[in-house]
Amino acid sequence: MLPEVTKDPVCYSCGTEPSSANKTGEWRFLTPEKDIRLSPCRQGCLLDGEIPAWLEAVKNGRWEEAWQIMSRYNPFPALTGYVCFHPCTENCNRGQLDQEIEIHAVERAIGEWRLENYKRVDRPKEVKGQAAVVGSGPAGLSCAYYLNQGGYEVTVFEREKVIGGMFALGIPEYRLPRKVLKKELSVLEEEGIRFVSGCHVGQDVSLSGLYEDYDTVFLAPGAWKPRKAGIPGEESGGVWNALDFLSLLNKGHQPEIADPVVVIGGGNAALDSARSALRMSNVNHVKLIYRRSRTEMPANQAEVEAAEHEGVELIFNALPRKIEEEGKIKEITFDFCKTNLKGLVVDQSRSFEEKCGTVIMALGQEIDPSIFGEPVKDSLFYAGGDFTSGPATVPDAIRAGRIAAMTIIARDAGLPEPDLMLPDLEPVAFEELNLEAKINLSLQQSQAKPDEEAGRCLGCGTCNSCGICYIFCPDMAVEKVDNRYQLNMDYCKGCGICVKECPARAMVMEGGME
Amino acid sequence: MKIEELNRESEMLYSGHNACPGCGAALAVRYLTRALGPDLAIVLTASCWSIISGMPPLTALKCPILHCPFPSAGSVGSGVKRGLVAKGKPDTTVVVLAGDGGTFDIGLQALSGAAQRNEDYIFVCYDNEAYMNTGMQTSSATPFGARTATAPYPLFKAGQKKDIMQIMAAHSIPYAATATVAFPEDMEEKLKKAKKISGFRFIHILSPCPPGWGTESADTIQISRLAVNTGFFPLYEIRDGVSWEMTLKPDRSRIPLKEYLGAQRRFKQMDDRRIEILQEEVDHDWECLMEKVNTAD
Repeated sequence: MLPEVTKDPVCYSCGTEPSSANKTGEWRFLTPEKDIRLSPCRQGCLLDGEIPAWLEAVKNGRWEEAWQIMSRYNPFPALTGYVCFHPCTENCNRGQLDQEIEIHAVERAIGEWRLENYKRVDRPKEVKGQAAVVGSGPAGLSCAYYLNQGGYEVTVFEREKVIGGMFALGIPEYRLPRKVLKKELSVLEEEGIRFVSGCHVGQDVSLSGLYEDYDTVFLAPGAWKPRKAGIPGEESGGVWNALDFLSLLNKGHQPEIADPVVVIGGGNAALDSARSALRMSNVNHVKLIYRRSRTEMPANQAEVEAAEHEGVELIFNALPRKIEEEGKIKEITFDFCKTNLKGLVVDQSRSFEEKCGTVIMALGQEIDPSIFGEPVKDSLFYAGGDFTSGPATVPDAIRAGRIAAMTIIARDAGLPEPDLMLPDLEPVAFEELNLEAKINLSLQQSQAKPDEEAGRCLGCGTCNSCGICYIFCPDMAVEKVDNRYQLNMDYCKGCGICVKECPARAMVMEGGME
Repeated sequence: MKIEELNRESEMLYSGHNACPGCGAALAVRYLTRALGPDLAIVLTASCWSIISGMPPLTALKCPILHCPFPSAGSVGSGVKRGLVAKGKPDTTVVVLAGDGGTFDIGLQALSGAAQRNEDYIFVCYDNEAYMNTGMQTSSATPFGARTATAPYPLFKAGQKKDIMQIMAAHSIPYAATATVAFPEDMEEKLKKAKKISGFRFIHILSPCPPGWGTESADTIQISRLAVNTGFFPLYEIRDGVSWEMTLKPDRSRIPLKEYLGAQRRFKQMDDRRIEILQEEVDHDWECLMEKVNTAD
């Protein structure tokens, strides 16, 4: 029979005070630090977006923060999530492990979250200036957004009756649902941007009048002047220009199109025209004829594949020589043509005829320098989008709008012109990543839920709070603060395990005590 | 183990302990106390951890630690567990923490006795393969070819490492397992499994020692991982001394041992012939293990 123990004996021999009184950080002679390196997705991004950072925020359910990071470079993720050809995903390192992150899907989710959860926040009333933006396309809207955020009163002038420029008139509905665009525009209006539609600067108001009435004018009228082939029969009836065709369609009209349709060109407008024509009720056959080979097409390859999948017939190496009319039927003569080192070589002996009801010419657009009916003033010249670059992509235009706005804001604040270019660094290569720990590494394939998909991001040079540094720290010197990992220098002995094991290579070892 | 759910509160180890930078033993004890706590009592024999745990009044762990003489870990553990049961605290997990000296050499008789009596506690050996605390003297856990303070360069440990797992298996204890710091999830799973079993349980943890092994402190995890991937320290568990099972599925193409040895200065006097001897030994042990695993299936 054991004696009954009535009272716990008190023993202090093993100590009662936490050893954290001991600041072992004093032992350190090398200091680990968080680092940010360029990720391949960001290098690919036409908007320079901090992709790993907002993916990390979405992964942890911090949507507001994701939007804040996103909007530093892209104010319209809902729109670009649909229309951008996501070169980020093509660059993604995860592709070498299993499957690339569907970055644009997460981007779109952030945009939709923002549109759903938008609440107007009152900003200080101090107005920094009056700004006029000419053109309400991607470049104009982007510049208007950033100027508005920077404290300007912005008025956007649009030549057409609908606001949105290329968003509204150039891009077919199947690639960008109009309700998303409408919502985005209503948010911009609520933010205080004024839209004047149906006002052609150069006709209804003069450009010099704008320069007098406003402190800043940003020109983004786009490039809408169609390039001509210069062949006989081009001006006859039943021959459409791609942008006229698309904008009529996007305005809700039914352009007169007779089956079968031939689209001439190899750019994105050609693909959009071909796919839109095929969607019309009276069209059964669409052929897309391009003068060079498939690999030389300027259009996005995914779009080409989609068009082919839908039933658009693709013909390559054929250059139109003339268009003849025989009643309602058009006959186009094509010559065989290919590119070599000297350029385009045409072989007229190998020609063929193509009969069709409608021809859509999509040979590209040009900048119209005389659009305003007067020269623009050099000293106050701020312009962007297709108007300065020639036909390019939506993200290119958004980027131009942002750069212009930032430059204007810096100028008015008396600051030097900001350097808005990403430094030309080597992005983190797949081989550099340390994927050996395999803890907290999502091994799933592509996921439908945006937060799960974002959780697949490997970080590539940006801390994505995977927690490997926390797990492997022998000194508990990595702390979790607000769901983020931080180093506590009171206890870090500088062993360097965190730097060595960081999967994303987002840490470096610095010499000496700080 | 979900990293998102872990924070300072879920850990039993305090910062500010006295382990060297990059210490594998500190990590091992951090994982094991987190997995077995918070209702935990630790019996600590003379080892590195006697120092790491701090001088009174400081302590590095949130649970009580009872320091005991070098050869007695096995029997003190038995007494503490029986005492707790007598006091009406049968649910407290008792862990005996010993280094390789306190397990393989000096503590072996008490360990063997406790295992034979099937005492109800977990014996954890964190193995840094020499008496590191007192200055890296050879123990029977030191692998062939390593230089130590008692076998200084150009000498080296001549015999093979004692196979403690076979000794424990021979005691037919309910549960025995190997683990290492590069695989915390595997280690945690084994400890949680061990916690649920009653009777004598034995966990053998390989914990790299940067100053003793001659590695960079940052390489602790990498070395530990290499030990597993070369087959030098396979991860497995044994139930009742007969049922052997690999927990980390063995990779058919094990990395050559040379890579593991080359990363440690304690093996720098190893020439190709000696590396060959050790490689053969590792291959032989691996085949024996595979045989046991396959018979158990």
